[in-house]
Amino acid sequence: MLEGAELYFNVDHGYLEGLVRGCKASLLTQQDYINLVQCETLEDLKIHLQTTDYGNFLANQTNPLTVSKIDTEMRKRLCGEFEYFRNHSLEPLSTFLTYMTCSYMIDNVILLMNGALQKKSVKEILGKCHPLGRFTEMEAVNIAETPSDLFNAILIETPLAPFFQDCMSENALDELNIELLRNKLYKSYLEAFYKFCKNHGDVTADVMCPILEFEADRRAFIITLNSFGTELSKEDRETLYPTFGKLYPEGLRLLAQAEDFDQMKNVADHYGVYKPLFEAVGGSGGKTLEDVFYEREVQMNVLAFNRQFHYGVFYAYVKLKEQEMRNIVWIAECISQRHRTKINSYIPIL
Amino acid sequence: MASHSAQTRIEAQTIMKARLKGAQTGRNLLKKKSDALTLRFRQILKKIIETKMLMGEVMREAAFSLAEAKFTAGDFSTTVIQNVNKAQVKIRAKKDNVAGVTLPVFEHYHEGTDSYELTGLARGGEQLAKLKRNYAKAVELLVELASLQSSFPGLNVLLLISSQSWMRESEKSFIGLLKLTVIDHFLFSIFQRLYLLNDLLVYVL
Repeated sequence: MLEGAELYFNVDHGYLEGLVRGCKASLLTQQDYINLVQCETLEDLKIHLQTTDYGNFLANQTNPLTVSKIDTEMRKRLCGEFEYFRNHSLEPLSTFLTYMTCSYMIDNVILLMNGALQKKSVKEILGKCHPLGRFTEMEAVNIAETPSDLFNAILIETPLAPFFQDCMSENALDELNIELLRNKLYKSYLEAFYKFCKNHGDVTADVMCPILEFEADRRAFIITLNSFGTELSKEDRETLYPTFGKLYPEGLRLLAQAEDFDQMKNVADHYGVYKPLFEAVGGSGGKTLEDVFYEREVQMNVLAFNRQFHYGVFYAYVKLKEQEMRNIVWIAECISQRHRTKINSYIPIL
Repeated sequence: MASHSAQTRIEAQTIMKARLKGAQTGRNLLKKKSDALTLRFRQILKKIIETKMLMGEVMREAAFSLAEAKFTAGDFSTTVIQNVNKAQVKIRAKKDNVAGVTLPVFEHYHEGTDSYELTGLARGGEQLAKLKRNYAKAVELLVELASLQSSFPGLNVLLLISSQSWMRESEKSFIGLLKLTVIDHFLFSIFQRLYLLNDLLVYVL
């Protein structure tokens, strides 16, 4: 790819980059979060959100206001913005945005497969699917009798087809545990996304590759941590680690042998980036490993906005917006359950 | 003649006394049963109140851990609901005997493995494990509460019945005692008159 993105990036993508930067500027600040934390009821929360960029998004809701309604409305808003970006994008940005939706598509497909196997009605499952992961063949899922039928008839048309082919032969789809399937699909998705960014080169690769590498390493650590004490064998665990990132290949081999948290910590100590993260676990705030990883992800996403002329801003914006949604839902739950001790455990963004 | 009447009098008295004793023993036994039931009733009531207070705390904790899990793992509710097949925690009903009265008792037991072991493998597994523990505790507490509350009305009715019968018995024995005293006095006065008559007759003849 030619260097010098600043010469031609704005021709195709300048409008959208400007738009996404404008959206990013409307993310909630620390002051907004302080105001939200001081609310006593969900109605107060709604009033405070009206002063931010959210505006009157809850105006049409009937009483009583619940946390799930807030969540659904926020997600609708994010989807609206994302669909706008996608509809106005040109290649290769549109492929990039499609890659971003693949992770939601994987979750939706797993849900649909499960539902089809259990003979549940498609309509109710469609309602539960993530809107960002919508694909055109979704309604046709109930035609398939077995997972292999499903794959041959329907999934082969979606962008997920290569990921399924990577994981296994069609026959194995029937017996595989649904969670293992989900994680294997996600692994091949991440690898494909990483290859795409790397091949694109330029500033996008500079910005996206470290973010994706961190995502891969994070998955490796979390899968290892959560598989202690379950029936997941070490070999199975190793097949779920994405094959790129700082931990590849020596770290992953060491991780596959780890049997408890301390051994995992020893592996992390070899890497300068992960040593301080693991040290921050526990400590005074009772932080878990996942909290620490979320904070680091937010940091990296915010830094992505410091460079111009790359696609990483879209990825970073969506991830930051999702984190903001999670924060607001957390604060809303603490308020509605009147359990304010941990209300400040949200992850601050700006 | 005097001795003969005295004998019948003593016999009559002994019979009445035996009947009175029988009634009194019966009454005491019933009182003991009623006392035992009352004691058990009070214990259960105390336990119900304690369990209900604890239930409130435990449910609050469990609901909060659900919010924590959702914060880290995202929305896993559809996955969980879809994969439901067999119950992991089941209950057995047993009979418990208290002062001759059988009361139902529920006991929970685990069966089968956790089918949600790998949920949240890539995100939120720790919080999900904590969530599972909290809700398991809530379910166990619920089973205990159900057991207590199901024996409560049965016990209540039994207590009423037994206290009624105890009261009837004590009334009966009280009346019996009253009767005995009256009859005793009556008999005594009759016998006194008989003696006087007897003496008079002897004197005349």
